[in-house]
Amino acid sequence: MGNEPAHTVTRYDQELDRLRGLVARMGGLVERQTARAIAAVVDQDEEAALEPPELDVEVDALEREAESLAIRILALRAPMAVDLRVIIAVLKITGDFERIGDYASSIARRALKVEPLDGALSFGALRNMARLVQENLHSAIEAMVNNDSECAMQVWGSDTAIDELYTAMFRELVTYMMEDPRKISPCIHLLFVAKNLERIGDHATNIAERVYYAVTGEMLPALRPRGGAAKKSG
Amino acid sequence: MNENTMQAIASADGEAEALASAVSGRPIAIQVNNLDFYYGKTHALHNITLGFPERSVTGMIGPSGCGKSTLLRVLNRMYDLYPGQRATGEVMFSGQNILGSGLDLNALRSRVGMVFQKPTPFPMSIYDNIAFGIRLHERVSRSEMDGRVEDALRRVALWPEVKDRLQASATALSGGQQQRLCIARTIAVRPEVILLDEPTSALDPVSTARIEELLDELKTEFTIAIVTHNMQQAARCADQVAFFYLGELVEVDSTARMFTAPRESRTQDYITGRFG
Repeated sequence: MGNEPAHTVTRYDQELDRLRGLVARMGGLVERQTARAIAAVVDQDEEAALEPPELDVEVDALEREAESLAIRILALRAPMAVDLRVIIAVLKITGDFERIGDYASSIARRALKVEPLDGALSFGALRNMARLVQENLHSAIEAMVNNDSECAMQVWGSDTAIDELYTAMFRELVTYMMEDPRKISPCIHLLFVAKNLERIGDHATNIAERVYYAVTGEMLPALRPRGGAAKKSG
Repeated sequence: MNENTMQAIASADGEAEALASAVSGRPIAIQVNNLDFYYGKTHALHNITLGFPERSVTGMIGPSGCGKSTLLRVLNRMYDLYPGQRATGEVMFSGQNILGSGLDLNALRSRVGMVFQKPTPFPMSIYDNIAFGIRLHERVSRSEMDGRVEDALRRVALWPEVKDRLQASATALSGGQQQRLCIARTIAVRPEVILLDEPTSALDPVSTARIEELLDELKTEFTIAIVTHNMQQAARCADQVAFFYLGELVEVDSTARMFTAPRESRTQDYITGRFG
């Protein structure tokens, strides 16, 4: 979102650069929050569990700062075309980042209540899902920083695998709970963790959509392609 | 990228196309084809092809000297008043090429009216400013003339402000009122097309807003072409926008498309303030 020639008004460029800087910093922070939250669960790392809620304060502050700068630019510069698209994208992406930060914090708070389950499931499926979510989030942020619409589109099209893993985990956990009521509590915690991860994946997809729009000026379709359920539209 | 992704994207592209062509479905009032224009040896317009959809506003933007006002002056053969200026190509209006010879220019100019940057009231009464143009083209009775003057003044929302002093001099009106009077004078002869050359650049924001509001009403009846340096004005008033640069038509598209996602980088650089 920044490969154009400079504005005649230099201050305008400085403001847009600052805005991009703020949102890039938010991206870095929520990536860290997500990584630490996952480590807190799958490695049962108590120290890691403390970090996401702490970082959340900073993420929220950055969101407010980016928002007020974006509003200021909208009011004072009357941005058009790519500038307008970038600012709108930033406003929405900061919202997505803020949500991701909340989900990561929520995972971290729950982390130490989750116990590895005996037997087959343990954290294997969760690890797989977490890896995919982290990859997608990372790629979405990369796409944002590099104005890479191709990369954004890949993220947008690859959330299906995460959804499928989540559905599989859901079924498996329900089965465990039915087999042994003593497992209900840890299973519920695990289910919430998985659900939060799945939501982080959705927000990464949202970010990819916004980046794609900011870079190309085209909206991606409202409906994402879904694994086997995708229907051919006439 | 899998097949579903491809399909989904293809259908989204279709929606964007439909949005972009919102005005292009209308019949074309004036069609300019391969127009070149010369001021003596200076080649001011290069191979312009552009349609002005009926009963809608076409905004023309671009830096000074890009040819947008020149094009406007071609549309009612204003340039004929100056020696050494000539146009080649074709400007089709009601099935006729208006660049052709043997055209009744007075008749053309009554059908294609023009409003200028600076208000140009005639040094006569408010009433006569309107009546003057009508008398040029038609013979009407006194009572019909009264009706036509009142109607024109009402249409530009000037009536309540001047109805008690119709015989007062038009030059005593404020700048904004004078410009609305000029628009009233133009529409009083019942043209089909109205050309406006930066009609609000000499006006304050309130008068500007009044004129813009007026354009919105007038376009239900007239085909309007407006040249403006004010990008926000083009964004507010126009249904389609044409961007000119160095005598070329760089891009024309629906206003929404032009200001959110122009196709040409030169357009984008200009409207986002990144020019030279």
